[in-house]
Amino acid sequence: MSPAEKCPRTEALSALVDGALVEPARVALDAHVAGCAICAPVLAEFRQLRTTFAALPDVAPGVDFALLVDRRIAAAGVSKPKPKPKPQLRPQRWRWWQLAPAALGGAVSLSLGAYLGSALMLGSQVTAQPAELQMAAFTAIPPGALCPALQACNSMGR
Amino acid sequence: MLASDGSDGSEDDWVRRARAGDRKAFSELVRRHQNRVYRYLLRMLGSHDDALELTQDAFIKAWQALPQWQPEAQFRTWLFRIANNTALDALRRRKLVEFVPLEDSFDAPGSEPDPEHQALVTQEVRQLETSLKKLAPEHRQILLLREVEEMSYEEIGCVLSLNEGTVKSRLARARVALIEIRARSRS
Repeated sequence: MSPAEKCPRTEALSALVDGALVEPARVALDAHVAGCAICAPVLAEFRQLRTTFAALPDVAPGVDFALLVDRRIAAAGVSKPKPKPKPQLRPQRWRWWQLAPAALGGAVSLSLGAYLGSALMLGSQVTAQPAELQMAAFTAIPPGALCPALQACNSMGR
Repeated sequence: MLASDGSDGSEDDWVRRARAGDRKAFSELVRRHQNRVYRYLLRMLGSHDDALELTQDAFIKAWQALPQWQPEAQFRTWLFRIANNTALDALRRRKLVEFVPLEDSFDAPGSEPDPEHQALVTQEVRQLETSLKKLAPEHRQILLLREVEEMSYEEIGCVLSLNEGTVKSRLARARVALIEIRARSRS
């Protein structure tokens, strides 16, 4: 493994500069950096950056924003911060037309049910056969067969 | 100890009064934070005039948003969140992502030709200001909050709506990016 692979990530060095590492990690990283030719210059650069930031000149606006802001608030007529309007709970009004789709759907379902029901009833009547014909299946001459003699079929009503 | 007006003088108390519509209390809050907000916006935008205008805008937005302020939130981080969003909106609107060199545009009062002041400003600092302007806004904002405003990772997370792990990694990337820009400008 190369030395670079053993090195901590840059964000650990950055956190070290910020004092954001907890004790065991900080001590271990300090020890590593002390003997690492790769991490030591990076840490030095980070620390130098911090020193330079600290030396940045302070800048002052030279104006009183409180006065300017207060004037703008007064000019806009906003005398008091307004809370977000909460949605008001209004009593529900009866709106008959809102039920129209449901009523239509119900009517269609009922009609369809009645139609299918009557069709089934009719179908059962068509297929119903006289009892004697149903019993004919058990006679010597099955239904649809030719009569061997006229008398043979007359007794069955054919 | 309570003041004659019934306030305890703490920042939370000023905020509570401002939320109730007390403009004087809000003015007090503006005075407490105006320099920091202005300084941040100046370094984000690179222009004194823009910073003047946007500082006012940020405070007006804060006044309007006060009812949404949660007492558990720190007022400073809440305010910086508004200021930061104001700065990013302005940068997007004006397409100032790529800044012109510092010498051409930096017109902050603090850098006016004042012999005494000039003597204090080192070459390192000038170079840093130039490099900061070349930095991506997301890197610039996090570095300013950490190095100039001295915010903790948690506070930066509140301002930028980031978790602390992201703050940590973004800060490292921002530092590396700034060091690279400085190295290029030196060479």
